[in-house]
Amino acid sequence: MKHTPPVTLFVQCIIDTIYPDVAEAMVKVLEDLNIQVSCPTSQTCCGQPAFNSGHRQVAKAAACKFIDLFEEAEIIISPSGSCVNMVRHHYPELFADDPEMQKRAIKVGAKTYEFTQYLVDVLQAEDVGARFARKVTYHASCHLNRFLGVDRQPRALLSHIREMELIEMKDADRCCGFGGTFAVKYSDISEAILKEKVDNILQTGAEVVTGCDMGCLMNIQGMLSRINASVEVKHIAQLLAER
Amino acid sequence: MQQTFISTIKQALGRSQGSKPAEDLFTTEPSEHEKIVLTQIQQRTSAQHNANMSRLREVTGPLYVNLHEHSSLEETAEAIAALIKEKSPEWGTEKHVCRWDHPLINQLKLESLPELSGIPIHTTPIFDVTDQARPIPSSQKEQFRAQVEQSFIGITSADYCVAATATLALRSRPGQSRSVSLVPSIHVAVVKEKKLLSTLEELYTLLKWDPAERKEGLTNNLSLISGPSKTGDIELIMVHGAHGPRELHLFIIGEEQ
Amino acid sequence: MAGIDSEKYKQNAHKAIADPVLQSALTSLQGRLGPATKKLYNTLPEGQELRKIAHQYRRKAIDNLDVLLETLAENIRSHGGQVHFAPSAEDAVEICVRIALENHVRTVVKGKSMVTEEIGLNDGLEQAGIEVTETDLGEYIIQLAGERPTHIVAPAIHKTREQIGELFTEKLGTPYTDDPPTLTQDARRALREKFLTADMGISGCNLACAETGHITTVSNEGNIRMATTLPKLHVAVMGMERIVANLEEQQAILRLMSMGAASQQIGGYVSYVGGPAAPGHSDGPEQFHLIIVDNGRSKILADETFREMLCCIRCGACLNICPVYGKIGGHSYGSAYSGPVGAVVTPLLFGINDASDLCSGESLCGACRQACPLEINLPRMLLALRSKLSEGDPSWQVKPARNQERWLFRCWQFVNGNRTLYNLFYAVARKAQKILPTQDGMIRKLPYPFNGWTSQRNMQPLAPKTFMQRWQEKQEGKK
Ligand code: SF4
Repeated sequence: MKHTPPVTLFVQCIIDTIYPDVAEAMVKVLEDLNIQVSCPTSQTCCGQPAFNSGHRQVAKAAACKFIDLFEEAEIIISPSGSCVNMVRHHYPELFADDPEMQKRAIKVGAKTYEFTQYLVDVLQAEDVGARFARKVTYHASCHLNRFLGVDRQPRALLSHIREMELIEMKDADRCCGFGGTFAVKYSDISEAILKEKVDNILQTGAEVVTGCDMGCLMNIQGMLSRINASVEVKHIAQLLAER
Repeated sequence: MQQTFISTIKQALGRSQGSKPAEDLFTTEPSEHEKIVLTQIQQRTSAQHNANMSRLREVTGPLYVNLHEHSSLEETAEAIAALIKEKSPEWGTEKHVCRWDHPLINQLKLESLPELSGIPIHTTPIFDVTDQARPIPSSQKEQFRAQVEQSFIGITSADYCVAATATLALRSRPGQSRSVSLVPSIHVAVVKEKKLLSTLEELYTLLKWDPAERKEGLTNNLSLISGPSKTGDIELIMVHGAHGPRELHLFIIGEEQ
Repeated sequence: MAGIDSEKYKQNAHKAIADPVLQSALTSLQGRLGPATKKLYNTLPEGQELRKIAHQYRRKAIDNLDVLLETLAENIRSHGGQVHFAPSAEDAVEICVRIALENHVRTVVKGKSMVTEEIGLNDGLEQAGIEVTETDLGEYIIQLAGERPTHIVAPAIHKTREQIGELFTEKLGTPYTDDPPTLTQDARRALREKFLTADMGISGCNLACAETGHITTVSNEGNIRMATTLPKLHVAVMGMERIVANLEEQQAILRLMSMGAASQQIGGYVSYVGGPAAPGHSDGPEQFHLIIVDNGRSKILADETFREMLCCIRCGACLNICPVYGKIGGHSYGSAYSGPVGAVVTPLLFGINDASDLCSGESLCGACRQACPLEINLPRMLLALRSKLSEGDPSWQVKPARNQERWLFRCWQFVNGNRTLYNLFYAVARKAQKILPTQDGMIRKLPYPFNGWTSQRNMQPLAPKTFMQRWQEKQEGKK
């Protein structure tokens, strides 16, 4: 294998604080591919919740911090499509009236990859040696699928997991109703959308639902748990780390 | 009012700050691609004609257009007569038919068919407008309007028929009344096979660039009709005959060998 | 001006979600139209690329609106038509009422038109003693029921055939039936009377063509052709942005519009109207008037952030895919414009503060942009509207709203800016979460202001250690 550059982890805040196992799994997958991993531990949230709620000044502060911290990294990898979308697409917008910062934002954005995107598009690694003998269904998160155009990549990775049965759910690419603060502010609407997603998941008979964005998965898990459904929620990194 | 209205727009567009209108807004010459489309139409081979015909046969079904193919005027006239005999009027009981005063429709000589005797066929009147000072008596217009309202079948031709979408292009001209294709319950359109185009793009390219078409322009009313009137407004269930014709019969007259 | 009623977004949404009839109507609508439109885009002979090209056509038209509108007006006048310019909704209504009164109009038949809903034209005409009949079947149904449209293209989609049957029996005196063909026939009969006797026909304009000087209307029912052919007067009302420069551009956009609106290659009836009946023609109206309406559009035009919105052709494709619209239906938006397009256009036309929930009540999933035949970037504009709401913008007369939220985010900014503080915050939160009620290890009830999350959802509690802590410990262990 040719030289693979070291990667720097950009860990979504909810993975950092609520689902650290997901990041551990990602590290395992990367290290099993002989990739050197580093992680600046002073990182915090990328500012997406503030940005989506319209608080651009607040988001800008987070963006500045992020750029300062990650600017020197060679490759930045995140297990979250929506955070990568924030960095790649919204950071440059935030600095529309500051060309100097905008240049830096664009540079950082260009080397920031979503986890599965990096594995498949850059490393051309579709088979990472995983084995997972369960029935799984895949939720295609909106920001990942529509804004980053990443859909083929996670599906390619899933298709190479040994002994796993992948069952396609109805409308896999339809929103789960998460939308960040939307889920809290407009919980009625959010839950009505989520209910449809959960029904579609249950319909597959899968034992596990997976995806590339812990925000959506946390949302889905929340309702599955409330209705005592036995379907487990796992980030794709966790499946890929299974041996 | 127009001036202040437009000047508000100019201001919004920053015209005073030097933003200039684009210079290529109105095309004055066909693009290379459009030239190809034009030659394609002019030099259509019989194989291409046949391909258009088969395309039309495919799309008419799903669009609820009744396609009739005949190879002569006589046959076509007979078939239309049979249709007039077979169908019953939607409003009232008397059968009236109205039609365009159009060379092709005139050649059908429907009025002389014995089987249609007793069924009034109203022809769109053509008014003499050479004398501008003498306006058309509105009573004549009203009379024809009443006849159209009475008619259960309206017979028109069309300038073109687009095979890919079963679209008929009808322009308003003297003798070619708009309401004949609209008010009666059944619209019968008679078109010569050579008026077939393959796509909407061809139609628009002709309307835009063909010298004769350019000269006439779109007229004050051009209607593109693709299928009978339909609605899905009640529970998305498709129903034909919302306001316009419930049925559309398209007669294509092939070239006589 | 016709008002909006967008302040009750949440309450109306709540009601809509609890209405099983509406829910099944919305599911069926989205199940049919959404995927069908998507499939059609794949059949474009020019490929999906045409959508980007058509967007450019629209954008170019908007960027040259001054030239195009003047050209259109000149050409229509040369065909014998009359052109009026209306800066505001009130002006537009006044012009239309004046034309009607001058010509002793007592009855009007109308084709479906969004801009006339926006400006409240029917109310204006009725106040002048003129009877107005909506003739699009869906619009007719809701006019009889005294309701607002719930969908741009399928306005009565929220009503069941049984409800329509009862409505017709009550208002038209027809025998009760729930058979859609029979109901359609009942309406056909009632409306035929209106068409044949009306003094004036009113239509909108889907897309005018400047170089030829025509407005274009599209319908499947044929009602617009009836309304614009049979009465002696035809008045068309168009939003000033509904125009393109030339025929070739218009052709591409009309096809895409038909795909977006009704999953068709081309609308059943596409009519070009350039003026009144020409001399020697046996029918058609004696007068043709075109009213071009601004009503807030020039303000959108002036703002680079929102100018893209003027490219919209109101096809409704974004409604047929939007997960939020799919649950709350059109009435929740409290405006003639609902769904994703309404969420952007209503605040811009009627006031951002007044329609603040419309800007914020979406999940930003991006499906609308993907479904839009012109790929209009609605999510981008929703985000821009939110920033105006959160931070205020005098140029749009927006007062910063949501002060409490702003304050929370400021605190958050402070904590988020420093990892030590961040760790401290989470350490406290981890302790605090212990007092929350749980279900199998998941939090069942979150405190205000996060309580919305847990009305039908649980929440995974914070982990004992953050990943960063674990990573640090691991690194130290390695040493
Ligand atoms: S935003 Fe796009 S999809 Fe929605 S109505 Fe406008 S043109 Fe149609």
